[in-house]
Amino acid sequence: MRHLSSFALRAATASAAVMLVLSLLGSYWGWWRAEAALRQQLDLAIAAEAEGFVREFEEAGIRGLALSVEAYARRRGPLFVALLAPDGRVIAGRLPQPPPPLRGFANLPGTGERPSLRVLGGSLPGGGTLLVAADLTPVDQAATALAWTPPIAGGAAALLALLLGFVAAGRMERRLASASDAARDVMDGDLMRRLPLSGRDDEFDRLTETFNALLGRIETLMIAQRQVTDDIAHDLRSPLSRLRQLLEGALAGPRDPAADAEVLERAMTELDAVLASFSALLRIARAESGVLRQGFLPVDLSALVETSAEIYAPVAEEAGKALRTEIAPGIALRGDAALLRQAVVNLIENAVHHGGSQVVLRLRPGPVIEVEDDGPGIPAGEREAAMRRFHRLDRSRSTPGTGLGLALVAAAARAHDGALTLEDGAGGKGFRARLTLTPDARMT
Amino acid sequence: MRILLIEDDETTAGYVAKGLREEGHVVDHANNGRDGMFLAMNEPFDVIVTDRMLPGPDGLSIIRAIRLAGIATPVLMLTALGEVEKRVEGLEAGADDYLGKPFAFAELRARIRALARRPSGPPAEQSVLSLGDLRMDLLQRTAARGARKLDLLPTEWRLLEFLMRHPGEVITRTMLLEKVWDFSFDPTTNVVDVHVSRLRRKLDLPGEPPMIRTVRGAGYALSAPGTEG
Repeated sequence: MRHLSSFALRAATASAAVMLVLSLLGSYWGWWRAEAALRQQLDLAIAAEAEGFVREFEEAGIRGLALSVEAYARRRGPLFVALLAPDGRVIAGRLPQPPPPLRGFANLPGTGERPSLRVLGGSLPGGGTLLVAADLTPVDQAATALAWTPPIAGGAAALLALLLGFVAAGRMERRLASASDAARDVMDGDLMRRLPLSGRDDEFDRLTETFNALLGRIETLMIAQRQVTDDIAHDLRSPLSRLRQLLEGALAGPRDPAADAEVLERAMTELDAVLASFSALLRIARAESGVLRQGFLPVDLSALVETSAEIYAPVAEEAGKALRTEIAPGIALRGDAALLRQAVVNLIENAVHHGGSQVVLRLRPGPVIEVEDDGPGIPAGEREAAMRRFHRLDRSRSTPGTGLGLALVAAAARAHDGALTLEDGAGGKGFRARLTLTPDARMT
Repeated sequence: MRILLIEDDETTAGYVAKGLREEGHVVDHANNGRDGMFLAMNEPFDVIVTDRMLPGPDGLSIIRAIRLAGIATPVLMLTALGEVEKRVEGLEAGADDYLGKPFAFAELRARIRALARRPSGPPAEQSVLSLGDLRMDLLQRTAARGARKLDLLPTEWRLLEFLMRHPGEVITRTMLLEKVWDFSFDPTTNVVDVHVSRLRRKLDLPGEPPMIRTVRGAGYALSAPGTEG
């Protein structure tokens, strides 16, 4: 039985044991106090009655006392009274037991038919003893009855605690079992599986939410990982096949130093392109995995964009284009400077390669980075695809690049909780890439 | 130069060691971290080239250990592809430069030379750099070749300053990208060549002996006219 090793059950058992001990101790203490109180009450009643008789004696002397004792005894009051002569003889009243000549309180144990008694004895001036006594039987009975309550109460409490423990253990077991079933499903490959919420918003639900977020993270990572593997399989295969064919052809042909050198050079170029793609893919994967987030630092975005513009202005000029900037000063965020720099550079290079004659680089509060050109742009229907890995528009096959430029910008945007949008330029002409980033609350 | 190469991949090690020996260097090779650390601690080297991932203590541990022992030998760290962001980690551990695999041998050679020529310890705070008749005043931000004042843009200034701090050395395009512009990636445009040629147009006027030299298949070198590095 799984229950026996359950944490909840162990907790329930322990709490039941503690309940038992505590309720036993508590109720024994209560019993002891109650019994003492009963006996004290009895003593008080005896003392009060005795005081009445002493006052009688002071007012009416021994004779008057004897008369009222006799009268009391005949009335069969709740107490017994007896007046003894100095020699111990009973002058008036009676006791169910042979009266002892005593002073102060004492218990007389019962024998056979005779009940046990609580007796108060006092000597009277001029000899003689007054005894007032009460039957202890009711008090003893009450005490005996009370003595049963501690074990009964304790036992009931412990039983109840144990029962509740079982119920709680069962519920916890069921909820944890569903969690561990879900976890096992995920381990078996069902990455979409999530843990059910009870809807009570208790600590279990909070744990479940955290756990589900963790599973979501794992799913994202696994998908990203799978994506990289697929990309490598699909898109690096063709250049590598070309490379192999090239080398195979050269190897099969006649040895010719000049031709061989040319083949080697081409092979090197192919290989460098493969390595560049591979490196870009790994960067994208890393950006998408979210691991960079731990290393985020304050980045002066205004300076970063400004420097990129400085570096690229001559490059644009050589390509027969003008790079204009509209950069708002003092914009900063927490992020990965290297990744952001590469994203900005990729956008600029894209515009330089494919744009018309004007390129505008903008940084606005938001922060929003925009690169706009007056080139043909990307047809609306192809914009989504352009941000995916290895997508190259047919007309751009002749220009340099891995086909991963915009994919990297999109990944960089997502790594900074932002987005990349591709749209028409101002007035529906040209092309604009907008990189929207999220301001960080910690940076103001 | 005596170079320590710590690299567990025999093919890479063989290729690198052969290339460096052909250049006239003496190469000691260790194929695991333990031997590498022992050699680095006990033998004098001019440059240490270490892989990051090694059996035994890894490259980072070796660098930390020798720096702790007060050994200031320049260290070049090699690393697997796609781990650029670990570059910072390597530099923080005490490496002087970082090169991702696979690399062109020319790149490695240029970086080893740059490391070996670097004076040990932090660079002295110079306010004026000069090479031949070229002078750069870093405080006043003025540069002149002979009597002719050079009007440089900020990026050209940074480029020239870097080249002047490495006179006569072959500086690769990747080194310029990394160290002058802080690019940890290869751009798709010829951004380095554009800037170098612009700088060259300002520095080497027709008729003047050229100072910037293009090294085919490697990069650029700046040297005083007539010295050829």
